[in-house]
Amino acid sequence: MSTFSLKIVTPDGVQFDGECEALTVRTTSGEMGILPGHINCVSPLGMGRASISVNGEKRYAACMGGILTVLNGEVRLVPTTFEWADEIDMERAKDSETRARKTLGDSRITEVEQRLAEARLKRALVRQGVGTQMRVK
Amino acid sequence: MAGVSAKAITTRIRTLRSTRQITKAMEMVASSKLRRAQARIVSSRPYFNIIYGVIQDIAAANREHTLPYLACEKNCADKITYVVIAGDRGLAGGYNSNILNKCYAETAGCACEVLPIGKKAVDFFSARGTALLSTNYAGAEHVDVGDCFTLARSLCRRFRRGECKEVRIGYTNFASVLTQTPVTLKLLPLEGGHSAPGASADILYEPSSEEVFETIIPEYIGGVIYGALCESRASEQAARRGAMDTATQNADDMIADLSLKYNRARQAAITQEITEIVAGSQS
Repeated sequence: MSTFSLKIVTPDGVQFDGECEALTVRTTSGEMGILPGHINCVSPLGMGRASISVNGEKRYAACMGGILTVLNGEVRLVPTTFEWADEIDMERAKDSETRARKTLGDSRITEVEQRLAEARLKRALVRQGVGTQMRVK
Repeated sequence: MAGVSAKAITTRIRTLRSTRQITKAMEMVASSKLRRAQARIVSSRPYFNIIYGVIQDIAAANREHTLPYLACEKNCADKITYVVIAGDRGLAGGYNSNILNKCYAETAGCACEVLPIGKKAVDFFSARGTALLSTNYAGAEHVDVGDCFTLARSLCRRFRRGECKEVRIGYTNFASVLTQTPVTLKLLPLEGGHSAPGASADILYEPSSEEVFETIIPEYIGGVIYGALCESRASEQAARRGAMDTATQNADDMIADLSLKYNRARQAAITQEITEIVAGSQS
């Protein structure tokens, strides 16, 4: 099967660097699939599940914020945070969810606080979603 | 050895020993912090390089000159915004003064405002009466990735509103444990429009080029600020380690020198006593 080169880099380090057969990520305008020979493209990332096929095996990860670029057949995924499904700390994600829900339940919060809490809630839910799916399989 | 009593010398030696102890301890603390900071750099550098490369590629391949961030807004204020990253504490050799003086020299003679990161930067620019954007980032050690992105978003908003014509960042590049160089980098507006060789064809922007730029530029600026912060922190620790190492060596030299003087003074006193006794017995 044909492959393309993929680099996944976050501020915490290089998460993946190698050949891959297919990549699906969540961009701000919806799911986007990349196969070899994709047209040059740039898109901002949303928050959601990313899946990467390497040697016929699919790996999942929680991928939040950042940029996806395809330039001359080279794919660079530069998210703000990227966690492989088996590395997700479920306890922490649950904690974060409860905290975010508590903040949102408070009626006195400012608009900024609300936005932050909403983002935190969403991240926690994505993490838990990806993490659970991994454990069920 | 006339004039300096053995007693005075021992007191000085004792003071020097305790000073040496402090500098030695500071050196060790700085070394361990430096090791951690270096590990951070190693993991964040690829991100820094790739995100910088990506944006340069996009800007170079871009043929739509109407995109935001490629040029300054119309009727923008004639001001440059500087983000200056320095340390929180002194005793780090030339670390703070190098970067602060470099930025100060650049800001002199043009209208500018500064966003200082680190207590030393805040103090330096407020003492010189430069307009400060915010003093919320006085603790350089406590600024994290999230803060960098918040900061980047507010910088981008200012730029888009035309409140400044350029955004620059001044930080210290960690070349090696022994050399750290202060540098300034232009963040906005992006250099672009001139098609670089190799940057082929059109790029598909999803959902639209304006929206893509609106979202990824703040990401990019945040990433660069974070990278610069990591470099600066490592540089600070390296500079402090070097300075403290030199201080410890100087203390060692002085102690050796003073011990010699002390022994001479002691010997002189003994010789004198013997002479007096001999002279006394002969008379």
